[in-house]
Amino acid sequence: MITQPAVARGADAELINASLTEPEAFANLFDRYSAMLYRYASRRLGPEPAEDVVGETFLVAFSRRTSYDLSCPDARPWLFGILTKLISRHRRTEAARYRALMRVAADRDVESPADRVAAGVSAQAAGPGLASALAALPAKDRDVLLLIAWGDLTYEEAARALGIPIGTVRSRLNRGRRKVRAALGDTNPLLGEE
Amino acid sequence: MDDLKLLRDFGRQLEHEPPPTLVRQRDRLLRSGTRGPGRRRLGWMTAGLVAAATALAVAVPALLVGGHNTAGVATGPLGAKATGALNVLLVGTDSQAGTERFRNGARTDAMMLVHLTADREKVTVLSIPRDSLVKIPSCGGKPAREGMINSAYDTGGMACAVKTVESLTEVRVDHTVEVDFSGFAALVDALGGVEVKLPQAVDDRAAKLRLPAGRQELDGEQAVGYMRLRHVGDGSDIARIKRQHAVVMAMLKKAKSELADPDRLREFVTAASRAVRTDAGLNVDTLIELAGAVRGSKVSLVTVPWRPHPEDPRRVAWQQPDADRLFARFR
Repeated sequence: MITQPAVARGADAELINASLTEPEAFANLFDRYSAMLYRYASRRLGPEPAEDVVGETFLVAFSRRTSYDLSCPDARPWLFGILTKLISRHRRTEAARYRALMRVAADRDVESPADRVAAGVSAQAAGPGLASALAALPAKDRDVLLLIAWGDLTYEEAARALGIPIGTVRSRLNRGRRKVRAALGDTNPLLGEE
Repeated sequence: MDDLKLLRDFGRQLEHEPPPTLVRQRDRLLRSGTRGPGRRRLGWMTAGLVAAATALAVAVPALLVGGHNTAGVATGPLGAKATGALNVLLVGTDSQAGTERFRNGARTDAMMLVHLTADREKVTVLSIPRDSLVKIPSCGGKPAREGMINSAYDTGGMACAVKTVESLTEVRVDHTVEVDFSGFAALVDALGGVEVKLPQAVDDRAAKLRLPAGRQELDGEQAVGYMRLRHVGDGSDIARIKRQHAVVMAMLKKAKSELADPDRLREFVTAASRAVRTDAGLNVDTLIELAGAVRGSKVSLVTVPWRPHPEDPRRVAWQQPDADRLFARFR
């Protein structure tokens, strides 16, 4: 799994609180979550930009730690929120990545999307369809969809990460999922809802 | 099939494991973030970083001359350019001069600008990280381009290095000093080796160097190997500048005890004169004379304010406007 919830090792909030007087303590947060954030960012941007973006995330987080809401023990939504903002600066890199994934698979796959669904799709076969759907999604919908699908955040956590109401998370997620399904060849509107 | 599950599986295919180099980002955090309360203070106060050549061109001669009987050292008349405020560009090169790989000489491994005020009251040594990604003006038959600052020397020799530094800093370079690392090794040997405290053991195949942690007596070749290690610490040039500094400090310490004897002093100066290549206006005698003039001055060691380059964290970008403010002091 991509995430490691902060259980049984002291809440992140305590760490952040400690870092107010003892800045070095903040490095522990890096040790806890840099790998998780890296994996997530590497999915969206590829390995090299991911490294930089994770580094930036912690720099930004550090500079904003005084405004962290200490009543939230788990810092993951906060970090994912910063990371998401930083990833949005690499929109072109991300789009190019999905486009490349579309092409790679398209070259060796001539089945129609419908055939694949019928045959019981593997993610491998669905890759180009998913890549094209992600490429086509509006950034806001994509952020929500991927925070939940790839970042393993709950609706509440995604809402906190992005600073939006939970209802907005739901509607963006539904919109995103609908487009993904359409790209996979499943056009049954009844499945478009929860 | 569930679209979210498909998406998750797809994500796993795209995922990369965190590379070992991710630790650089941790260092970046510690270096920048955790220094000052809530502020991104980068690099700037990494003063006291100085590279090998300083020892030769300023520190060691200053030490040789300063406080000692200079009878053993021939001091000729001052060169034409030895008065007034003075900027000297020091370049430490590796020893592959003339090989095919480096058409015009050698690569620069260390670069610094030494500024002497007209009254010789103050000496500022400015280390320029060789990983600096900068605009290199057209020289050596190549058009202007973006590149690492140390590639300027390889493209067009010292002339190109000077042109690059002058165009970037708007500081006029009056003299140049070139130090070859094999020459530097000879210098360390002339001192009878140096003692350096290693924070961790070194086992580097690329540098052909194996040393245990702790206090070590290094001969010339080992000292140069240690200074030039690339694959320890965070692998950055900044870490290397720190090691260069440690070796230089060790040399100064050794020189103090070793060179009280005039014969040893003369021997050492002879070795120094072979290790240093200067422009025509700055011969070794002038250098020693200069060193004599600056012996009482306050020496400060600084590094160009820098931050990791946004497009490549292994490269360095100059931090503006801090860098320009610093260069202004050299004009």
